[in-house]
Amino acid sequence: MSGALDGLKIADFSWVGAGPRATKDLADNGALVVKIESAKRLDLGRMSPPFARGERKNHDASAFFAQTNTSKKSVTINLSDPRGIEVAKRLVAWADVVVENFGPGYMERIGLSWEVLQEVKPDIILASVSVAGKTGPMAGFRGYGNAAAAMSGAADLTGWPGSEPHMPPLAYGDVVAPMFLTVAILSALEHRDRTGQGCHVDVSQIEAMVHVAGDLFAEMPADKPANHDPLIAPHGVYPVAGEDKWIAIACEAPGSDAALAKELGIDELTDAAIASATSSRDGEALAEALCDAGVAAAMVLDGKGVSESLDLKAGPHFVTTDHPVLGPAHMPAPPYQLPETPWQVGPAPCLGQHNEEIFVETLGMAPAELAALKEEGVLA
Amino acid sequence: MSLLQGLKVVVLADRLVDFGGAMLARLGADVVLAGETEMTPSRRAAWHHGMTPSKAPLAELLAEADVLLEDRRSQDWPDLKGIALPETLIHVVATGYPEDLEPRPATDLTLMAQSGLMHVIGTAEAPPLRLPGEQAYALTGIQVATAALMGLRARRLTGKGQRIPLSALQSATLANYREAVMYEWTGRIGRRVGNRLVRGSSGVRQVWPCSDGFVTWSMIDNPGMMRALVRVMVEQDAAGELAEVDWGAILVADTDQDVIDRWQGIVGAFFAQHDRATLAGWSLEHGWGLSAITKLSEVPESPQMKARGIFPDGRLPTGPLFAVHPAKGGAA
Repeated sequence: MSGALDGLKIADFSWVGAGPRATKDLADNGALVVKIESAKRLDLGRMSPPFARGERKNHDASAFFAQTNTSKKSVTINLSDPRGIEVAKRLVAWADVVVENFGPGYMERIGLSWEVLQEVKPDIILASVSVAGKTGPMAGFRGYGNAAAAMSGAADLTGWPGSEPHMPPLAYGDVVAPMFLTVAILSALEHRDRTGQGCHVDVSQIEAMVHVAGDLFAEMPADKPANHDPLIAPHGVYPVAGEDKWIAIACEAPGSDAALAKELGIDELTDAAIASATSSRDGEALAEALCDAGVAAAMVLDGKGVSESLDLKAGPHFVTTDHPVLGPAHMPAPPYQLPETPWQVGPAPCLGQHNEEIFVETLGMAPAELAALKEEGVLA
Repeated sequence: MSLLQGLKVVVLADRLVDFGGAMLARLGADVVLAGETEMTPSRRAAWHHGMTPSKAPLAELLAEADVLLEDRRSQDWPDLKGIALPETLIHVVATGYPEDLEPRPATDLTLMAQSGLMHVIGTAEAPPLRLPGEQAYALTGIQVATAALMGLRARRLTGKGQRIPLSALQSATLANYREAVMYEWTGRIGRRVGNRLVRGSSGVRQVWPCSDGFVTWSMIDNPGMMRALVRVMVEQDAAGELAEVDWGAILVADTDQDVIDRWQGIVGAFFAQHDRATLAGWSLEHGWGLSAITKLSEVPESPQMKARGIFPDGRLPTGPLFAVHPAKGGAA
């Protein structure tokens, strides 16, 4: 059986995180995603830890890169060489969708503007993701996901009541925006199939973070809500036995507050009383007992806990791929199952691994031309 | 531009599929809310915007539908039993945990707890924190919309619909791109470090008070950025010993914490003298990588949000999910 996107062709100029996470979704579901990169301007993701065996100089050893680029093909094109741009245009002519997340003006400067792409292929879909979007007074803004947290109100509302804004050590905008980009690309394909017309979908990281905070804008809390909920109580995180071990408890279902009080042997369900009662309990056993009693409860997992979670294994959330440099490695899989058109997560490509396959077999380039362009540093 | 014009979607909502239905509606689909569980009016306004409530018989609605979003977080939908679903229907079934597991209660908080994200949010002295708002539900909603659209693409290939089980736990965990992979390859477990950006044995600040709020900026190994900042500090007579540092010759990550703290003190005093707009303007002009931290209440009024139409009523972000620029000669 083939994947849901069998036959779909993507020319993927994106790099680091915000673009590649979307094209991973497409590649895992059967699209042929050709990642255009260059040894002369290495994808920063290839330089991001952790590395297999600590080989930080090996541009194929990053596990970060591997999990962001599963199932793709890699070709190398030097986009600072006009002959490289001509090769890139051949890929555009072949593709259904072009994806990019470069800084403002880069695609225009190298000669691959939206207007040029349409001349190369009139029904092409261009998919862009940037911090603030391609229009508006901030269209020229350069930055990463943390800037989106700052400007979307997320940093302002993260933390404990009365505290300064909080920037957690994760670029949430770099994961939410590519999820929006996947939706944008699939929607644009529906539109193209219905009308015959391409379009340019333009995702902003700030806007994606604003959209997923719709409840906060509706409620406009006077202070940071932290772990509390306006409707559910108790609703919090409490200590359990062990160093830095915590359980999350939410009494949402009718009667679940009484069930919590009974399980903990307390009369008063204040946060302090609950914490006092949970602090000596085994977290896993308590979570199981509470769930059995109809109380939503779960351990707060750390990286080890996520890696070893039986709930996630049941998905499966991680699948094992065999990578030429990393060896067998766990890669995240889509959170849904398509039984009639199943996804298949393959290893991320090594740099330029598919040059011959794509340039010669897919684009019809003569082997002699390929050799010459390689020799001259155009395909590097 | 309504990318999904003509698509018919039926939603049975219990928090996991709500945002997915709203996303499809905002993209132009005709989305009918055929069932929902209790929620606050403000959350309904946020998560159900664009959907049309209907009390029509479910069988009638489904006979015409392309997509059914069924939410099985906390309950079954008795009205659905016994209805023969059309062969072409894309039927997304969202559950808290993977469908093969025994069902158990799941809420936004407990799903986020298991994603691994909360463990690194906040400070070491206090319990783990969640991201603000119902992020596990929102993340699941995005995947629900994605799964529905994947099903539509598959239907073009096969001519058939399919039942698509979807797990909220996995949807939330997908947002955690760092903690599991770091543990698996280095054995390191991420901790809550507040607003410090830790690199090697030293750490730098990420959040700074200024005269009218806060900005985010970090002293990282980017000599061009550091020179650009110090240049303006010199002009403002605020650079102190920073004017003498050769930023191309040192690595901040290898510098003693005492020295970093002293340098940060100078930067902090400079930031404290200026407001967000001034600092952000300098950053944009000189390339500091600094961003003003916008208060939630200020976001709808931001010129960028207004230019892109994100808050059509000035209060809720119910505008476009993303901008769509038509092709040459295409309809706007």
